[in-house]
Amino acid sequence: MLWQIVSALSVVVVAVVACSAYFYFSNKILDFALPVSDGDVRAASRNLNRRAMIRPWLFLGPALFLLFVYLVYPVVATFILSFYDRTGLQFVGLTNYKWAIGDREFRQSIFNNILWLAVVPAACTFFGLVIAVMTDRIWWGNIAKSIVFMPMAISFVGASVIWKFIYEYRGGNDVQIGLLNAIVQLFGGTPEVWISVPFWNNFFLMVILIWIQTGFAMVILSAALRGIPEETIEAAVIDGANGWQIFWRIMVPQVWGTIAVVWTTITILVLKVFDIVLTMTNGQWQTMVLANLMFDWMFRGGGDSGRSAVIAIIIMLAVTPIMIWNVRRANRELKGH
Amino acid sequence: MKKSFLMGVAVAALFAGAASAADLKFAPGQDSKFNWKSYDDFKAAHADLKGQPLTIFGPWRGEDEAFFMSVLAYFTEATGVDAKYSSSENYEQQIVIDTQAGSPPNIAILPQPGLLADLASKGFLTPLGDDNSKWIKDNYGAGDSWVGYGTYKGKDGKEAFYAFPYKADVKSLVWYVPENFEEAGYKIPTTMEELHALTDQIVKDGGVPWCIGLGSGGATGWPATDWVEDIMLRMQPPEAYDKWTTNELKFTDPAVVAAIDEFGKFAKNEKYVDGGVAAVASTDFRDSPKGLFAVPPKCYMHHQASFIPSFFPEGTKLGQDADFFYMPTYASKPELGKPVLGAGTLVSIAKDSKAARAFIDFLKTPIAHEVWMAQSSFLTPYKSVSTEAYANPQMKKEGEILTSATTFRFDGSDLMPGKIGAGAFWTGMVDFVGGKSAEEAAGEIQSAWDGIK
Repeated sequence: MLWQIVSALSVVVVAVVACSAYFYFSNKILDFALPVSDGDVRAASRNLNRRAMIRPWLFLGPALFLLFVYLVYPVVATFILSFYDRTGLQFVGLTNYKWAIGDREFRQSIFNNILWLAVVPAACTFFGLVIAVMTDRIWWGNIAKSIVFMPMAISFVGASVIWKFIYEYRGGNDVQIGLLNAIVQLFGGTPEVWISVPFWNNFFLMVILIWIQTGFAMVILSAALRGIPEETIEAAVIDGANGWQIFWRIMVPQVWGTIAVVWTTITILVLKVFDIVLTMTNGQWQTMVLANLMFDWMFRGGGDSGRSAVIAIIIMLAVTPIMIWNVRRANRELKGH
Repeated sequence: MKKSFLMGVAVAALFAGAASAADLKFAPGQDSKFNWKSYDDFKAAHADLKGQPLTIFGPWRGEDEAFFMSVLAYFTEATGVDAKYSSSENYEQQIVIDTQAGSPPNIAILPQPGLLADLASKGFLTPLGDDNSKWIKDNYGAGDSWVGYGTYKGKDGKEAFYAFPYKADVKSLVWYVPENFEEAGYKIPTTMEELHALTDQIVKDGGVPWCIGLGSGGATGWPATDWVEDIMLRMQPPEAYDKWTTNELKFTDPAVVAAIDEFGKFAKNEKYVDGGVAAVASTDFRDSPKGLFAVPPKCYMHHQASFIPSFFPEGTKLGQDADFFYMPTYASKPELGKPVLGAGTLVSIAKDSKAARAFIDFLKTPIAHEVWMAQSSFLTPYKSVSTEAYANPQMKKEGEILTSATTFRFDGSDLMPGKIGAGAFWTGMVDFVGGKSAEEAAGEIQSAWDGIK
C-alpha cells in the first residue's frame, strides 16, 4: 500500500518536472536557434516573427501528439480493422458490415439503443428541470437538491448493484427481499422477475441511468434558471400568468440553450451506455445494446476484432453528428449569440 | 524512476520469496500419504532456475487462489523461481487483452479449451511437445480425451499439443441431503427412469424435488448447459456429442432438441422446482443449493458439479449432511455405458521460458496434485497420485469416477466457440426456461452459430 502511494506520488512529481522541463528547454532551444542579436536588425525581426510562429506549436505539440496517439490513430486503426476478418489479418471488404445489417442481435441492439435514446435524455432533462424549478423557492430545496444529486457520485456499476436489490426476486413463498417486489406483494400483486421481462426490462435498466443523471441535469438547469431576469417573471405575474404559463412560456424558452446542452450531453452518454447493462443482464433477455455487443464480440472466446470494429465505428458515427452540433452551438454562443 | 521501481519490485520479490519458504502447507518428507520422492526429484532436476521470473495468469480467485498459492509455494521453494500469480474476475476477457496487447503471462491457465484453441490459432500459445501429450495419454484416466482437449491447430494450421490439463471437475452429480432422503424413505435412483419416478413421487408427497438456479450475473444460463450436456451424453453416443460441440450436428437436430426438452421436463414444471419456473433463471446458482438444507427442505435434489460444496452452508459435513449420487443413465439405453461429464483447467505457455517449462514439469509430479487434493476442491485424473491424500471420502469417490472413466467428455459449452458456449447457448437456455420452446431456443442458438462462420 505504502509502496503504491510512493510510486504514484513519484510518477506525479516526475511528470510535472518533465513537463516543465520540456517547456523550459524547448523555449531555450528555440531562442538559441533563432537569436535576436543587437547587430542585425533585419535578421532579428525576422527571427522574432519566426519565433512567434513556432512557439504555439511547441506548446501545443505534446497535446497534439497525445491526441493523435490516443484518438486519431485508434479511430483510423479501428476503421481499417473493420474491413478485416476476426484475426485482423485477412482483408474481407464489406463482409463485416453486411453481417451487422443481417444480424438479429445487432438489430436488437440498435432498437434498444434507440429506445434508450428516446427515453433517458428526455426523462433526465424533464425531471431535472421540474426538480430545479420546484426546489428553487422552498426552504428545504437545497437538501432536496443534494439528495437528487447524490447518485451522481456513485459509479454506474455501484448504482446497478443497488438497483439489483430493488429488482431482486425470490421464488415461491419466500420473503421478497427486493424492494419493488416487496411493494407489489404488499398491495396484493404477484412478484415478478423484473429484469427478465423482455422489452420492459429495458426500461427497468433505463431507470438506473435516469436516477444517476437527473442530478446532473438539475444542477445545470438550476443555474440557468437563476440567470433568468426577475423582471420577465414579474412582468408575467403582473400580466396575470399562472404558474404553468410562467414555466412553459417564460422560463423554458429562456433556458432553452441549456436544455439543449444537457439533452445532448446525456444523449452522448446514452449512446455509450455499457456498465449498467453488463452488470444487470449482460445483454440477456433481449437487453443488448451496441457497446455491450461490441465488447461481447471483441472479448468473448478469443474475440472477433473485425466485427467489434464495425460496431465501434457505428457507435462513433452515431455520436459524431451530435458532437458536431454541440460544438457548433457552443461556438455560436461564444461569439455572442 | 525506473530504478526505484525495479528496487521496489526486488524488495517485494524478496518478501514474497521469504514468505513462500515459510508457507509450505505440509512439511516435505513428513506425511506418508504424499509422494515426497516426486518433489525431491523435481527439486534436484530444476535447481538452476534461481531468481528467474515467471508470471502465471489463472481463473482461481478467493479460496481457490489461496489453495493454488499453497501449491505454487512448493514450486518456488524447489526451483527458486520468482513466480507471480494473478487473476481477474473476467479472466476470459483479460487473457485476450493481454495476448493481443503483446504482454502475455508466461503461463495462462484457463478452463475453456475453446478459448485456448482460439488463442493457439492466432499464434499466441507455444506447443508443449509430444512428450507431454504422451505423458498425459499414459498417466491420466481417459488420457486420450484429455490429450484431445489440449490439442489445437496453431497459426500454421498444424495440430499440436498446447494445453496441459490440471485440476478437474466432475459435473455428472446430483447432490442431496441423506437425512431428508431417509426421513421421506426415498432411495437413490440408479436409472433415469427411476429419477423421473422419484421426482413425481416427491411431488405426490407434497414436496418439491429440485432446486435449479441458472443465475450467474452476466453468465446467467450456464448451469442449464451442464444439464443439457449431461442429458445429451445419456441419450446419444459420445460421437454425436463430439459432433454437436463442433456443430457438425446442428443445434436444431432432433437429438439436441430432445435433450433440451428432457431438461425442460425438470426445469419447466411449476411443481418440480423450488420457487416455480420463474425462479429458475433468476436464482443465483450459488444460492440455489441452500434450499436442500432448509427445514423443512425446499427441495430434495440439486444437479451441480463437484465444486458446489463451497457454496453449502458453513459447517456442512460432506457425506453426512450432504452427499451426491451419479446422475443416472437410462435403463433403456444400456449401450451408452456410464458417461462422465466434466471440466477442467488447462495450463498453457503464452510466453516461453525455462521457468515456464519447469512449471509444466512440476505439474507432472504427484505432489503438485496432492497438496491441493489434501485441502479441498481439487480432483485429478492423474492415476499415480495417492488417493489417500483426498481431503474427504466424497472427493475420493469423485476422483475415482475420473481416474476410472473410459468415456469422459468435457463440458460442451467450453468446447464451443466462445460466442456460442459462453453466450448464445446461455441466452438460449434462459429463453427456453423463460417460455420459448426447445425448437425455438435451439433455432436461435444455431442461427448465432451460423453467424460466426
